[in-house]
Amino acid sequence: MSSHLPFPRLTYAQKLSLVAAIPLILAVAAIAVLVANQSRALAEREIQALETQMIEAKKRELRNYVTQARNGFYFIYGSAAPNDQDAKNQVTQILSAMIYGDEGFFFVYDYDGINLVSPRQTEMINNNHLSLTDSRGKPVVADLINIARQGDGYLTHLWPKPSSGAEAEMITYVTSFPSWRWAVGTGVFIDDVLTSVAAARAEVEARVQRTFYYILAITLAALLMVFGSGMALNIRERRLADAKLKRLTQRVFDAQEEERGRVARELHDGISQILVGVRYALDTALRRLDKGLDTARAPLDHGIDTLGDAISEVRRISRDLRPGVLDDLGLGPALRTLVDDFSKRTGIQTDFQTVVFRNRLDQDAKIALYRIAQEALTNIERHSKATRVSVDLRGHKRGATLRISDNGTGLDPARSGGSTGIGLRNMQERVEQLDGAFRILTSNGTQGGCTVEATVPLTHLLPPQNTPQNKERSTA
Amino acid sequence: MTQTVRVLIVDDHPMVAQGIQSVLEDHDGIKVVGTLGNGRAVLDQLNGLSPDVILMDLNMPEMGGLTATELVLERRPGTRILILSMHDNPEYISTALSHGAMGYVLKDVPTDEIVDAIRAVMNGNRYLCTGAEGAIAPKSSDFPGALTGREQTILLQLAQGMSNKEVALALDISVRTVETHRKNLKRKLGISSTAGLTRYALEHGMLQGTGNAL
Repeated sequence: MSSHLPFPRLTYAQKLSLVAAIPLILAVAAIAVLVANQSRALAEREIQALETQMIEAKKRELRNYVTQARNGFYFIYGSAAPNDQDAKNQVTQILSAMIYGDEGFFFVYDYDGINLVSPRQTEMINNNHLSLTDSRGKPVVADLINIARQGDGYLTHLWPKPSSGAEAEMITYVTSFPSWRWAVGTGVFIDDVLTSVAAARAEVEARVQRTFYYILAITLAALLMVFGSGMALNIRERRLADAKLKRLTQRVFDAQEEERGRVARELHDGISQILVGVRYALDTALRRLDKGLDTARAPLDHGIDTLGDAISEVRRISRDLRPGVLDDLGLGPALRTLVDDFSKRTGIQTDFQTVVFRNRLDQDAKIALYRIAQEALTNIERHSKATRVSVDLRGHKRGATLRISDNGTGLDPARSGGSTGIGLRNMQERVEQLDGAFRILTSNGTQGGCTVEATVPLTHLLPPQNTPQNKERSTA
Repeated sequence: MTQTVRVLIVDDHPMVAQGIQSVLEDHDGIKVVGTLGNGRAVLDQLNGLSPDVILMDLNMPEMGGLTATELVLERRPGTRILILSMHDNPEYISTALSHGAMGYVLKDVPTDEIVDAIRAVMNGNRYLCTGAEGAIAPKSSDFPGALTGREQTILLQLAQGMSNKEVALALDISVRTVETHRKNLKRKLGISSTAGLTRYALEHGMLQGTGNAL
């Protein structure tokens, strides 16, 4: 990572957190829905089983009551004739007495619908209730008589509770005394069953809701952790970037100061001293002329010669700072000069190849590629033991590429931590600044050489209209 | 020398221009017709001053010596241009010559050499000052393909599909001059057709830079 400004990174980290958070939220939501549905279905099955079980128990109980009651007076009914009013009275009396629990009682209707026994609601006795319906419109008495006519059976209906008068759900078991054309039965209220079932359902719903809240809480905690750690990471990255920037700035300052120091020294130790020499020479010549001596020529000659030295010195310093060829003529001629000087200085045979176009790169690209070439040649001179170097610069459809190859020892990774490492990093940073690509192909310490390749994209080629035509100095 | 040589001095440093002028005025047969500060001014006053020899600095504001050299020669092909520069780098010398200069003299040579150079180019000889000769000799055939700024401009215009006439109109030069440049281009690049020139420009990333830089 190179040193970008920290600000766009922040939004990038946020985006990353979001990208992490969205799938998390979706997954958790899906899990929550699934869990809720599953637990609801499971609970529903259990509740229904419970309900059925409880109602079955009630039904069995009813049937037992009726059977027991019938057994109790069977000796009367079994031996009585169909119109034996005494026997009938006896049985109705027994049945009327058989009240149980808070609400339990027996009833008797004849097949015409006339009530004969109703111990808890005595006002019903001797009245015809065939057309009686519950609040849901069910003809309760008619249905009971129908069931009795066919033998026995159960009916679920609404009935006013004897204790409070409020209608409630009831199951009734009814059987028949066929010879007397009686329907005899008893019922039990099941609203308690329904209440407990509803309570169970509410309990399940509450549990599901609680589960939802737990999941929500866990999700929020997880999200907080995602964002929190993202933020922490971001802050750390930023700190690192800041530190890197600081180091980089320091390096730039150091380099600048060093360079200034060097130039100041060279001006003072070199040029100044030479110019002082010229001044002495001219003074001497003047003095001799004043005295009318004819020996004034020698110091003048000396002064002119020495001035020539000063000019050469200035030229050298200026070229070291920044080769004018690079600005005036472009990268190609500047590299040629660099390569020639290198070849002369080191005795390493060096080729330079380029295309005929010149001065087509913008200022940044020109300087970057020039400094890369300089650095690469310095590395070759110091470390590679190469005997041949080739430098190649050409434009192509994607941009411009500078390639420097040698036949030296290649780069030793173990060694490239030192000044070579910094040099390579500088090269890489220079190219990255230009959105270009930087590659090093090396044979890892054997005699296979090393190739450094820097490519700048087309955006650093000047458009044709801008080819230097008017301004050799300012245009690239 | 029977005829007076008309010399124009072009340098953006007044002290240098004055220095050269005072040196030249000591010599018979040389007349300084003017001193100008940049290439643009030379083009504007070229016909009025009608110099035989122009002493041309390289680095100047507005228009540098190389471009000015090319453009002066397009307008007045007979003019002899002598580059007078501080740069002793052989690249400058070979570039100057490829742009049509007749000679190259460093500013810090003994002043007599400048006079010698003016005389030499007036006689139709190329002149390279001491220090420059050695530098240029091995390079002369080394970089034959290097295009001048003008040639590069014309190559691009041709590659963009412009005709000789259109190029001439755009650059304010004669069709014959464009034709000459085109011939030189084909010779330097070793390409015989205009389509070939276009392809060459394309393959070397010359056209693609259009617009997206700057």
